[in-house]
Amino acid sequence: MTAPADNKPLLDVRGLTIEIDTRRGPAVIVDGINLTVGKGETVGVVGESGCGKSLTMLSLVRLLPNKIRVKSGTAEFAGRDLLKMSKSELRQVRGGKIGFVFQDPMTSLNPVMRIGDQLCEPLIYHRNMSKADARERAIELLRLVGIPGPEQRIEAYPHELSGGMRQRVMIAIGLACDPELLIADEPTTALDVTIQAQIVDLVKDLRKKLNMSVVWITHDLALIAGLVDRVAVLYAGTVVEDAPVNELFARPTHPYTRGLLASIPKLSDERASRLSSIGGTPPEPGRRPKGCPFAPRCALAESVCHERVPVLEPVAGSTGHRVACFVAQRQMMEAA
Amino acid sequence: MTITPVILSSTVADDEPPVSLWRDAWHRLLRNKLAVAGLAVVILLAFVAVFGPWLTPYDFLTQDLNARNQAPSLAHLFGTDDLGRDVFSRVVYGTRTAFVVAIVVTAIAVVIGVALGAMAGFFGGMFDRIVMWFTDMTMSVPNLLLVVVINASLKTPITAWMEARYQATLNPFYRETIWVDFLLVFGSMALISWPPYARLVRAQVLSIRGRPYVTAARALGLTNRLILMRYIVPNAIGPLIVSVSAGLGTAMVLESAFSFLGVGVNPPTPSWGNMISDGLRVWQHYPHLLAAPAAVLGLATVAFSFLGDGLNDALNPRGSK
Ligand SMILES: Nc1ncnc2c1ncn2[C@@H]1O[C@H](COP(=O)(O)OP(=O)(O)O)[C@@H](O)[C@H]1O
Ligand code: SF4
Ligand SMILES: [Mg+2]
Repeated sequence: MTAPADNKPLLDVRGLTIEIDTRRGPAVIVDGINLTVGKGETVGVVGESGCGKSLTMLSLVRLLPNKIRVKSGTAEFAGRDLLKMSKSELRQVRGGKIGFVFQDPMTSLNPVMRIGDQLCEPLIYHRNMSKADARERAIELLRLVGIPGPEQRIEAYPHELSGGMRQRVMIAIGLACDPELLIADEPTTALDVTIQAQIVDLVKDLRKKLNMSVVWITHDLALIAGLVDRVAVLYAGTVVEDAPVNELFARPTHPYTRGLLASIPKLSDERASRLSSIGGTPPEPGRRPKGCPFAPRCALAESVCHERVPVLEPVAGSTGHRVACFVAQRQMMEAA
Repeated sequence: MTITPVILSSTVADDEPPVSLWRDAWHRLLRNKLAVAGLAVVILLAFVAVFGPWLTPYDFLTQDLNARNQAPSLAHLFGTDDLGRDVFSRVVYGTRTAFVVAIVVTAIAVVIGVALGAMAGFFGGMFDRIVMWFTDMTMSVPNLLLVVVINASLKTPITAWMEARYQATLNPFYRETIWVDFLLVFGSMALISWPPYARLVRAQVLSIRGRPYVTAARALGLTNRLILMRYIVPNAIGPLIVSVSAGLGTAMVLESAFSFLGVGVNPPTPSWGNMISDGLRVWQHYPHLLAAPAAVLGLATVAFSFLGDGLNDALNPRGSK
């Protein structure tokens, strides 16, 4: 791990549980997530679409949609619980201390506002900058994220930019107030493959320059292998494995993680679907199995898996590697 | 890192040419012939409304009892009425009446409708329910009934009060009862005109407030007021412009209808409605007295409706393709 052990993490999420109101009553979507992000650390959060990645991140700044709410848990950011702080304190965190980059750059920018104005707004609001100062800083930010001709681009409307350019603008907005943490929610999913790599490189570069922590959400483990320090694998709203990135690639222990890694397409067969090697689908909210949430799809499932829920525990013989699986725990213990 | 040169070559190429949203919409509008025709008529009528009194050779009130009920001629383009007044001058002045009423009424209705609709959609909950209840109630009362009731209950007392003030002060201002007419027309028409705007804006806001750019704005910590004013209302404005354009036409028809029925602008102030009302009594003998105001009213309505449709297509490029 990058952060020294005695240092408190920047973000410390514990037992975060999110539920949704359905016609059949409340149903759990995110079930007791534990997640830490150290200062200057980059953490990848990986999981299939629908496993609760976006809701987890939105819940941190209390932006959950209607009918979805945090049921229990804490989320300490720089020592303060985000889930309990006052509205005005929260507004300082949003944009000021935690920056967001969303999935779809086509719809995440206000179509009727020049990008310069959208960049200036948080600066004027959070940093009390004058219009002229904010404008100068906006140009600087556009240059920082690699947009050519920022003096002209600042006058552009979102629809005048390509998808990759818009995502760069989104990143610039997320970075505007020098946040301590940047949360990027599948920022490249909507982009072409070549542009995806450019955006990853950009964030890799910026995170070092600005010394910030990053949470990068994705369903594409291969994309972020060279970017992140640590990976948390999410399945059906729980963290099933959490390890330094090299350790995870070298010794994936959870059956789901192994499936994810096995399904990474080789260079030769790019069209292979991502999760082809894991049959079945994740449980729907409200239809969670009694024991391990992965049990219905797991080739290694034993009777205990259907009875009890495995908890995230350190893997024998390695540091900073945790897994929530009865069988994997036993195997690693035997191997150690 | 050598990112920048890569971007320069790979992404600038697929950028669309820089054209602003509004200029884009303007170009699409100009390609629509009916809309352009509508716009031309609207501009012409607006010009007439503003400069009309300087364009006509006669005053709209001047009676020439030697030239009553004349057919259209070079001297009187639309003929004269039963008091020998020039119908063309009266239609021109009626245009001014129609525009003043339509613009004032629509402006009031839009301000009320946008404010209530935007807040109802954005905040939801109890406020939304109260506003919608108010809207539904206003819409369920027949327009005409409401206007007649307002006129009947307010006009007499106000006029009487003005007369009393005049007697007491001798200030000629209190003799100008035409303002009472206009105030009542403005007030009652605005009262029945705001609900559709409130509904439209509320529906727009409900759909816009869930869009990713609004979530993104919230994630930036911007205040509700800022989000409402800069992210939600401007994005709701396209359909509003369309509906305002159509609404101006509707307001003109409404004003004519009320004046026709005697609860709007009263003679001798010319209004297309009270001219149609007068013309209708003698149309078998002097059809021009009916035809002239009716034709102009029809023209105005059609023009606003074409313009509204054209704006709709121009402002919703995705919808029209
Ligand atoms: N606005 C919403 N209304 C109802 N259900 C939602 C909403 N947003 C997300 N969900 C449900 O919550 C689950 C997790 O969603 P999300 O966090 O968006 O997943 P991910 O980002 O991992 O793809 C999904 O099963 C989805 O169906
Ligand atoms: S606990 Fe059992 S069911 Fe769950 S992943 Fe491990 S082996 Fe499979
Ligand atoms: Mg998501």
